[in-house]
Amino acid sequence: MHGDFHGLRVKERREEIKGAVTVVFEVPAHLAEVFAWRPGQHLTLRFTLKGEEVRRSYSISTSPFSGDPLQITVKRVEGGLLSNHINDRVRVGNAIDVMPPFGTFRLDPGERLRRTHYFFGAGSGITPLVSMLQSMLIAEPYSVAHLVYGNRSADTILFKARLEDLRARYPERLTVSHVLSRPSMWSSFSFWRRGLVDKAAVEAAIAENPPYAQDTQYYICGPGKMNQTVRDALMGLDVPASRLHMESYGGAIDVDDTIAGVAAEARIRLDGRTQTVTIPQGQTILQATRAAGLSPPFSCQSGVCGACRAKLVDGSVHMRARLALEDEEIADGAILTCQSIATTSALSVAFE
Amino acid sequence: MPPQRRMHILPVDAYVSQDWFDLEQERIFSRVWRYAGFAEDVSEPGQYVSVQAGLNNIFVVMGRDRRLRAFHNICRHRGTQLLRAVGKTQKAITCPYHDWTYDLEGRLISVPEEDSEFKGLDKSCLGLKPASIDLWRGMIFVHPEAEAGSIMDWFGEVEPHLGPHKVEELVEYPDSATAHEIKANWKIVVENYIDHYHLAHLHAGTLSMYDHARAEFGFVGPHFAFWEPLAPHYLENVEEKAPQPLILPMDQLGASVPMLFPGLGLGENESSWSTFHIVPLAPDLTRVEIRNRVKNAPARDFERQQSRSHRFWSKHITGKYGAGDAGSDADPMASGDFLAEDIYVCEQQQKSLQSPYFEIGASAERGESPVRQHQQIVLDYVEGRR
Ligand code: FES
Ligand code: FES
Ligand SMILES: [Fe+2]
Repeated sequence: MHGDFHGLRVKERREEIKGAVTVVFEVPAHLAEVFAWRPGQHLTLRFTLKGEEVRRSYSISTSPFSGDPLQITVKRVEGGLLSNHINDRVRVGNAIDVMPPFGTFRLDPGERLRRTHYFFGAGSGITPLVSMLQSMLIAEPYSVAHLVYGNRSADTILFKARLEDLRARYPERLTVSHVLSRPSMWSSFSFWRRGLVDKAAVEAAIAENPPYAQDTQYYICGPGKMNQTVRDALMGLDVPASRLHMESYGGAIDVDDTIAGVAAEARIRLDGRTQTVTIPQGQTILQATRAAGLSPPFSCQSGVCGACRAKLVDGSVHMRARLALEDEEIADGAILTCQSIATTSALSVAFE
Repeated sequence: MPPQRRMHILPVDAYVSQDWFDLEQERIFSRVWRYAGFAEDVSEPGQYVSVQAGLNNIFVVMGRDRRLRAFHNICRHRGTQLLRAVGKTQKAITCPYHDWTYDLEGRLISVPEEDSEFKGLDKSCLGLKPASIDLWRGMIFVHPEAEAGSIMDWFGEVEPHLGPHKVEELVEYPDSATAHEIKANWKIVVENYIDHYHLAHLHAGTLSMYDHARAEFGFVGPHFAFWEPLAPHYLENVEEKAPQPLILPMDQLGASVPMLFPGLGLGENESSWSTFHIVPLAPDLTRVEIRNRVKNAPARDFERQQSRSHRFWSKHITGKYGAGDAGSDADPMASGDFLAEDIYVCEQQQKSLQSPYFEIGASAERGESPVRQHQQIVLDYVEGRR
């Protein structure tokens, strides 16, 4: 069950590039099923730092179809509590509390499916994308993929060799287009474009590699700003929202703090029981639910991971951020409880 | 009593009656993936084509994201066909009758006099009906159902038995497309295409560059796969003898001549790749549209190849009957053109079907087995077993 943490031992630790480390976990046989993952999903890690519990989610960077072990790749974030801790402190043999794989930003390959997958990523946004990419190359043989990947310079590109290897192995099914914002003058690395993964890059990428298989899917994973730019660019080309899949990490996330909300009484259904919880004005449903002594699932607390997702059965809420949900899911009543404040005084919420 | 009038499996009726024709249109041609042209036909945003696929008229249009969309070509107001054969539109499609307008996602975006004439109209329920579409082997295919599933459910099994050609890298040979109206039922044309027995006889003078005795063929699902190697006298120095620049590596030479159900023949050989699209028009009338792709090379390469191969072809292509035996110069049997030979025998066979004395004599065990199998597949569709 997700929500439960398991202590997993670090089997291997390696530096991918300067300031980004890959942590490989050992999954004991009896947990193999619990930790089976789908391409694009992430793990939530729990640490206690200076007496405080800290949770963060990191995308799994291996493919469940390649036979590679469970691993995450963590890039240092300036001032980032956990990313620096993992880069500095984690050693082979450590046990880390890990929640089973989770997340709706996924690519589930199908043997007979025939799709064109476009991936737009920047920086460590590549971690879920490379897992998805490799998975569909292995397990969705009729499909093709185009990756547009933005970085500062050649030596900050994560998985450079692995991507090269995939391109060599699947020359007819994969294109990789590197976008560099500050390429080094001395580097001989050949890249596609200079600049950012922006509107012009998106349009050029699609014009150069128009979809062959007509079931097209678009996956976006980068800092919040890039996500928004790419999403707007694609929507500007009439890509239907149902074909867009997006996940954000780090950096700026669009947060809408303009609505203050109201105090409310909420009927909360969790683990088959229903309890009434009082939500003071300005508190999120998640905060109030935890304050009432319940233990709902959660992880990032910033609207990114989707772990705290629940269904709004009655009443209405304002979501400050909603990156982890797609429009269709919201239309079906899904909410992120860590981002939801009540806008009606009576709510009914069910954790699934 | 005349003997029972059957062509092997199907009754003769299947080749002459309107009832059978209508049944096939409904139960075969309206239910499967249908060829709708080359990818190049719709290769720019706004471009469209419309195709008749059995009872359905479907149009294909490219959006600004360069993805193709397919819709039933029926206005949701009173059903008028929206688009004519081919063309280019900007961002919207307007029905000629009352100007209802749809965007390229098929959404109804405007209705004239909506406020006064259609109070409370929910435009979101009146979008164009979507169909399925995909590209495969450089060709566009459409399927009338919105959720037809993967096209590889249909072609996946036969694909490994087709030619090793990289079709997308070949280009259409300019001005080489032809169309032919054949006075015969579409199945007669298909049966001729997949009949191995006739190759060495009808085409003795026109297709001798392939080694028919070593042909390998058979059905894979509803699709027919066929391959044969080059004949030794052609293979020797084939770089010079090929009529166009070679498009296959030397170790993969040969001709694949599959017939994809229903009625899309391919001719995939060492120097050209072509489609042979069979379109039923009436019980006794069929149109065949042929298009050709060749190597993407400068025109002078083709000229050079033509002149160096000329001697070989002038010696090895002959009419079945010499000029003396044939009725006139225009006689297909003296033409030295295998297509003319095929059309001729198809029409001659169709003529006899009207006669109460018509009767199939016998059927070649191997060479004509595809003919019998194709009939069985058609019968299965019409009788609802497929
Ligand atoms: S806890 Fe991650 S989205 Fe709410
Ligand atoms: S039939 Fe199309 S607008 Fe009336
Ligand atoms: Fe023939």
